[in-house]
Amino acid sequence: MTVPTITPYRSAVPEGRDGFAQLVRAEWTKLRTVRGWIIGAIIAALVTMGLGWFAGVGGASSCNSVGGGPARSGKSCAPSFIEGPGGEPVTDNFYFVRQPLAGNGTITVRVTSLTGQLPIMNNGRGNPNQQEQFRPGLQPWAKAGLIIKDGTTPGSAYAAIMVTGDHGVRLQSDYTQDTPGLPGAVSPANPRWLRLTRSGDTITGYDSADGTHWTQVGSVRLGGLPQVTQAGLFTTSPIYQSLTENFGGGSNGSEEPSTATGVFDQVALQDSRPPGAWTGSYVGSGDFSPGIGSYRQAQDRFTVTGSGDIAPVVSGPSGPGGPVITIANLLIGTFAGLIALIVVATLFITAEYRRGLIRTTLAASPRRGRVLGAKAVVIGSASFVTGLVAAAAAVIVGEDIARSRQFIFPVSWATELRIIVGTAALIAVVAVLALAMGAMVRRSAAAVTLVIAIVVLPYFLAIIAALPDSVADWIVRLTPAAAFAVQQAVPAYPQVEAIYSPAGGYYPLPPWAGLLVLVAWAALALTAATTLLRRRDA
Amino acid sequence: MEATIEVNGLRKRFGPVMALDGMTFTVQPGQVTGFVGPNGAGKSTTMRVILGLDAPDQGTALIGGQRYQDLRCPLNHVGALLDAGALQPSRSARNHLLWLAHSQGLRAKRVDEVIGQAGLESAARRKAGGYSLGMRQRLGIAAAMLGDPPALLFDEPFNGMDPEGIVWMRGYLRSLAAQGRAVLVSSHLMSELQDAADHLVVVGRGQVIADTSVASLIASASGDRVQLRTTARTEAMTVLARAGATVAVTGPDTATVSGLAAEQIVTVLTHNAIPFSEVSAHRATLEEAYMELTRDAVEFRAAAPEEASR
Amino acid sequence: MPAALHAEWTKLRTVAGPAWLVAAVVTLTAAVSALAVQANSCPSGAVCAVDTTKLSLTGVQLGQAVVAVLAVLVISNEYSTGMIRVTLAAMPRRTVVLGAKAAVLSALVLAAGVLAVAGSLLAGRLILPGHGFTPAHGFALLSPGTPSVLRAAAGSVLYLALIALLSLGTATIVRDSAVAIGIVLGLLYLFPIVANVVGNEQWHRHLEQVGPMTAGLAIQATTDLRSLPIGPWAGLGVLAAWAAGALAVGGLLLRLRDA
Repeated sequence: MTVPTITPYRSAVPEGRDGFAQLVRAEWTKLRTVRGWIIGAIIAALVTMGLGWFAGVGGASSCNSVGGGPARSGKSCAPSFIEGPGGEPVTDNFYFVRQPLAGNGTITVRVTSLTGQLPIMNNGRGNPNQQEQFRPGLQPWAKAGLIIKDGTTPGSAYAAIMVTGDHGVRLQSDYTQDTPGLPGAVSPANPRWLRLTRSGDTITGYDSADGTHWTQVGSVRLGGLPQVTQAGLFTTSPIYQSLTENFGGGSNGSEEPSTATGVFDQVALQDSRPPGAWTGSYVGSGDFSPGIGSYRQAQDRFTVTGSGDIAPVVSGPSGPGGPVITIANLLIGTFAGLIALIVVATLFITAEYRRGLIRTTLAASPRRGRVLGAKAVVIGSASFVTGLVAAAAAVIVGEDIARSRQFIFPVSWATELRIIVGTAALIAVVAVLALAMGAMVRRSAAAVTLVIAIVVLPYFLAIIAALPDSVADWIVRLTPAAAFAVQQAVPAYPQVEAIYSPAGGYYPLPPWAGLLVLVAWAALALTAATTLLRRRDA
Repeated sequence: MEATIEVNGLRKRFGPVMALDGMTFTVQPGQVTGFVGPNGAGKSTTMRVILGLDAPDQGTALIGGQRYQDLRCPLNHVGALLDAGALQPSRSARNHLLWLAHSQGLRAKRVDEVIGQAGLESAARRKAGGYSLGMRQRLGIAAAMLGDPPALLFDEPFNGMDPEGIVWMRGYLRSLAAQGRAVLVSSHLMSELQDAADHLVVVGRGQVIADTSVASLIASASGDRVQLRTTARTEAMTVLARAGATVAVTGPDTATVSGLAAEQIVTVLTHNAIPFSEVSAHRATLEEAYMELTRDAVEFRAAAPEEASR
Repeated sequence: MPAALHAEWTKLRTVAGPAWLVAAVVTLTAAVSALAVQANSCPSGAVCAVDTTKLSLTGVQLGQAVVAVLAVLVISNEYSTGMIRVTLAAMPRRTVVLGAKAAVLSALVLAAGVLAVAGSLLAGRLILPGHGFTPAHGFALLSPGTPSVLRAAAGSVLYLALIALLSLGTATIVRDSAVAIGIVLGLLYLFPIVANVVGNEQWHRHLEQVGPMTAGLAIQATTDLRSLPIGPWAGLGVLAAWAAGALAVGGLLLRLRDA
């Protein structure tokens, strides 16, 4: 039968555009019109801020007064740190046998022995007022050697060349610089010759195994050195720490001073003045300066004993004198905000599957890769903004709250900015990962659990130090939790013996490398999700 | 033509079930095409394939000569109502239409227009979770009309409508077709489509059983049977049987006669002075026609509560 | 109540999901315990302050997440599918319904827990001696005959059941499965993570005493009990209080709200 000629329908509504920008706008409309999801994002910000402020308020250590007074707490317990030339907190404790060095000059010495004593720990907290008991043992970073220093005030500039307990000869200066020299331990059969030469503002260090053939270890420039400096022999030995891990719940740390004794001979100091007399004194100050040191001189042989360290202060549970917190601790709420946003991001896609709304979406926008991309853009941006606000508020306001109560490790504003923005980026990328997982699995409960298992659980296990170091290291390098490295506030110094673990805020990867690991995970998940979305029936 | 929907040789299997088995038909603009078949015949699957949601194992589905995936701003070309319940309960109806509009680059003004057309102004800002079934259907229709498309697909739009709603829907569908649009309406209840559809595509077990106009279908199903109502039934039967007709009793005073034209029956009866009150050409309902067609294709047949007397 | 119990048990056993989740609890717990044990060693001559029992039961910390998912789904699935209306129409006494769900869920989790803990201890018993944790070194072979080991094992099984009840209560309150899981896992991790950065020893201790996971896992400790923030059974009691509170609030809301 013939179909009567019909005038085809012509629409009066102008044809729209369905580019990516329109898709993003549509997805944003979807997100903002569900009150529950907006509330979820707000809760994420609030818990992040709240927990951070709580950490700032409640972190004050308590300690015993020296001399048996009432227990103190709060800021009065905070360790006081001196500042080095670069402004960073440092410890400067050692025993110094010295003479003034006028102008340019050289000081040379032969070191024939370096031995030490370690405290006997009681597997609990040591009492600093008790007479410690010692046993023979040498700290790996015990130091004995030559030093040229701008006076004897703790924190002043210096350059030193030394033999160490386990790291050979080192040239160190200004607390953070460290250059290796001849390896191997020192003994009477295997002595080391050390030399420091000052020329203007430059100090050069040399070492030798036989006294005749000298190798330059390195040369440092200390700006603004006065005409007369103090040069001489020094010995020092860092605080001995024992950290017992309680599986499933934190760790107990206790520390006691250790000592080292260096034996020097063939000392030669040449400068523009005739040689003078040697003075021995202990350099160091503050609540946690061990103050142990002495020297004996027998003809040209010096035996110098000292305790302490010339090094930057590190944060974490192993700082000298107790836990030291950084602004990274103020972001302890990140994991909670993360969980809330993981839930929102997952629901953003799985809710469509639950109601069959996904068919409406894909009929309106058949280019499925773009749909997932638009969702990722929207949820990622929303999470980034939420994270940025929360992290900034947690850190900035938290610092104010905390400063009046305890010591916070100072960091540069560039580092602070990196921590805040990095945390926001971390949150945003995890949200995208959750979205991708939700698109793959299509069931909200399973997706949320999976994402929490690969992002929050590894972080949790690493933070509470429930695993052996090798396992924790592997976990924090390979899982998405590696991104928490953006929150590392203080660099790890290899020349300072400390426990550098995530529990103390130290991560094995550099900040942006850690974030990149997370980005790789998210990219992989998003690719897989897009493939599945395209191939599956709606 | 721009709006024509062409389906050609679709095959799709879901595990052990062959949902589509060579589905082929065309939906022309300017008329309402009913898409009817028993439950499980493949109607919803066909619609999803047309919209690019499910991928067929074989065959093509084109709208105005193009695949759905190649359409730009697809809602401007095809509007569809597949599942009225596909809504986020905590989102208002207006916001649901709003994000759909945004995805096509349409303006909020258009959203308010279709809300008015569907009669949902008073409820538009309420959460969709609280809507009755009829309101959700209207919302679905509003969503389908958002881009003012020349082609429309409605999957069982009469479900859950009260009688007033069904009457409104019929009129609405006819007006859409009268504007020159191509309208495909699926249903498994013939009574709904009786006065709405012009053309029928009858499907069963994943295949097209019949593709004709409503008038021809009814005519062919009616056959040449004649309905007879008389008090002297036995005598009438004897007389008509002698005249060569086949008579089937359908009630205490009714019978269906086949084999003779209506006028001949009147002649025979009056010649034999048999009184009768009704001789009429039996006009099958669309339902009867459909039942006959799809008798073999029905998958799920419930047991009759008691043996129904015919 | 017996009818409700029967109905809830039928619901659980006639869907594939719970069976898979139970299997996951058992295998994941045992596997993680084996891994944790494998990664530790005590070289001869060293003094290792290791609680071998607690180490062998490490897997419970991952198993608890799967238990939480199972418990949440028992009630959230009814809300998402709309079946809750069918359930409450068939059994209008709502507290009884929740009680029945809790009972059936506990029984299932206790059974799964026994298997999981047994597997974990077995892994410990087999692997530890090869890593230096021998009786000669001062570490007794793991055996359920030892009272402390038995306490830790039984306590871990109870711990899993209490986690399940806590999750059930939370899911009854919020009704959405994803939100419920987020809240439960967040709650469990919250206390140990925050306690870690709080320097004040008192606050640190209080946080560990109050947290559901930190208090509950105290039951696993067999050595150095004095350094625990809270006693083993008291810790389990804290977790029980959390679970009871969640169930109580959930039950109240279930009764008051529309289905």
